[in-house]
Amino acid sequence: MPSPESKAPNGHTNAASTWRWLIEKELRELTASRSYWLLLLVIGALVGHAFINSVEIYAEASGSAGGPAALSQGLSPLEGIVVPILGAYDLAATLLFPFVVIRLVAGDKETGALALMLQAPSRFGASVVAKGIALVAAWIIAGTAGGIALVLWRTMGGHLYAPETSTVLLGHLLRGLLTIGVAAAAGALAASAASAAIIALTVTLGTWALDYVAAARGGAIEAIAQYTPSAALRVFEHGELRVSTVLVLFTLAIGGLAIAAAWMQEGRALSRRLLGVIGIVAGVAVATTLFANVRASRDVSEDRRNSFPAADEAALHAIDQPLTVTVYLAAEDPRLVDLDRGVLAKLRRVMKRVTVVYAAQGRSGLFEKPDEHYGEVYYELGGKTAMSRSSTQEIVLETIYELAGRPPPKPIDEAAYHGYPLRAQPTGGPWVFFVAWPLVVMAAWWWVNKPKISRLRSFGE
Amino acid sequence: MASPLAVSRPFSRLKSGSSRVVVVDNLSKRFGPFWALRGASFSIHPGEILGLIGPNGSGKSTLFDCLAGIAPATHGTVSVDNETVPPGDRKNILYFVPDGIRPWPDQTVGWVLQFAGGVHGAASSAVADVMRALGLQPLRGARLHELSKGEHRRVMLGIGLLTPHPLLMLDEPFDGLDLRQTRDVMSVLKDARSGGRTLFLSIHGLGDAARICDRLVLLSSGAIVGEGTLDELRAKAKLASGGLEEVFLALT
Repeated sequence: MPSPESKAPNGHTNAASTWRWLIEKELRELTASRSYWLLLLVIGALVGHAFINSVEIYAEASGSAGGPAALSQGLSPLEGIVVPILGAYDLAATLLFPFVVIRLVAGDKETGALALMLQAPSRFGASVVAKGIALVAAWIIAGTAGGIALVLWRTMGGHLYAPETSTVLLGHLLRGLLTIGVAAAAGALAASAASAAIIALTVTLGTWALDYVAAARGGAIEAIAQYTPSAALRVFEHGELRVSTVLVLFTLAIGGLAIAAAWMQEGRALSRRLLGVIGIVAGVAVATTLFANVRASRDVSEDRRNSFPAADEAALHAIDQPLTVTVYLAAEDPRLVDLDRGVLAKLRRVMKRVTVVYAAQGRSGLFEKPDEHYGEVYYELGGKTAMSRSSTQEIVLETIYELAGRPPPKPIDEAAYHGYPLRAQPTGGPWVFFVAWPLVVMAAWWWVNKPKISRLRSFGE
Repeated sequence: MASPLAVSRPFSRLKSGSSRVVVVDNLSKRFGPFWALRGASFSIHPGEILGLIGPNGSGKSTLFDCLAGIAPATHGTVSVDNETVPPGDRKNILYFVPDGIRPWPDQTVGWVLQFAGGVHGAASSAVADVMRALGLQPLRGARLHELSKGEHRRVMLGIGLLTPHPLLMLDEPFDGLDLRQTRDVMSVLKDARSGGRTLFLSIHGLGDAARICDRLVLLSSGAIVGEGTLDELRAKAKLASGGLEEVFLALT
């Protein structure tokens, strides 16, 4: 029998070796879980369905089914192909991936493995970090289906603009990270995996409710709602790389893992673990508040959909006075959607200080009285106020220049975006996603989980 | 900043074969109004096999959980050489293999033991030695969920033996083993003691306890009712003769 002295000197272990063991353990546990293989099977079908649908619709919009020639002008693969195909991952991150995460985290508690891991030489946080690394790897592997779809699109002659495509991919990576954080915290806090699943889904429902309630409300609730998974992902899908969104999502994900690590240290008194969790929540709240104020952002879309013309951007950036916009449009009024996306979002990006007040009382705008200014938008700058009913970019900019006492800038010649119409049919899609992908996933499952040398054979030897 | 993987303290305070004694003082644990442990105080001597015996529900597993620092005690201290070892640092001096856990059910016996050895810095030859000693080689490729209770128990024991800790605590190490396996495991544990390891075993079979333990701690309703060799316990029970069963019945 080996004596304790035959072990590593003084019980010290090599850090690199320990990391390798911890991560290998989590990857093995992950690939032993049927839920992950099911996720891979389902994601292939979801991506395949999205790929076939979007390529067909894109072809129709490009003129394959007739229609006006002007329709295909300005056609963007970002919103026609990339966003719908990768949208399958939003669904997976909401409804499938949380269960994979919860199994990995809560499984240790349910089987008793936690009692052994708490006694491992490394700090317990390292075990949770290893889980996080394995789960990120799992999410990236699941992303292969989306990658294949984009490669297929390229082989069909489709166009992809690398900065905007990689920004959407980054958005989905962060979306996956957020799911890992939330589900890991739920898995740690709940007594069982089933309870953890209910907590994770409740958080998702809560963010949906927040999205609905916060629309066109302004103030703190709207500021918070910018970081719900759906709202945050929309930023990336719109071709905008917003530093605050990246930092807040990353912080929330790390916060979730930190809560899991703090709560699962069952050797500590309940009060100490509770204080630890409260401290982490407070720290995350402070950090996200600070990060939310980081204004740096970049319009990475090829058609510069998040930007005004360059001359206007320069002129607006030069205005130092704060701009207050008071909008009398209800949340469900399509004019507000146009104004928000087409003008206000760009103003927030370009001008130094912009405050938007949503003043309409109702949600639909159907029951507003004439004396409640419904439909009016007030712009206040440097003590002067102007009203406009337009949601058109040119008219709003003209109004702002008038208030600032500046002439509109001379336009600078910029290359116009002509779009990338493509009349192609996704002929290979069904074979790739509904035949080859499931076969590859099942073969990989068999290879990873194939029966080992059986005990009977060993006994017989 | 220290690496999160670094052992926070080396095993300097409880070297194998040292004369240092682990002293447990006034260890108590309350679940709501119920006291599962009530002021348990005893000592663990280096190089001995100490047995913890007591009726079902007497608090044996709770005592082990609190001692190992994987459950918080309400009161009490554990010290080595008059120096208190906080719960978070106990994993530096002792290792506890709980009863009734079924970790990593989808992994193979061979991999689980390699993992345990790898994480604790054991040489790969040590894994082979432990597998051979516990008769686990034929099960190397079997997944843990496929094992019988006794086979699983031996794997858990193997995990414990692959750790470098000088004090190893095992909850019901013979539960589920047949007579031959029990004798073999006892032999393995005695070898471990000869190698300098101190063992603290919770055993419900009094016959097994009497055969392997050097000293015994008797627990009843969360309180220690006796500590010492069989002769010392017999004297405490005021019995002129009789085995552990009689002593147990007299003291609990």
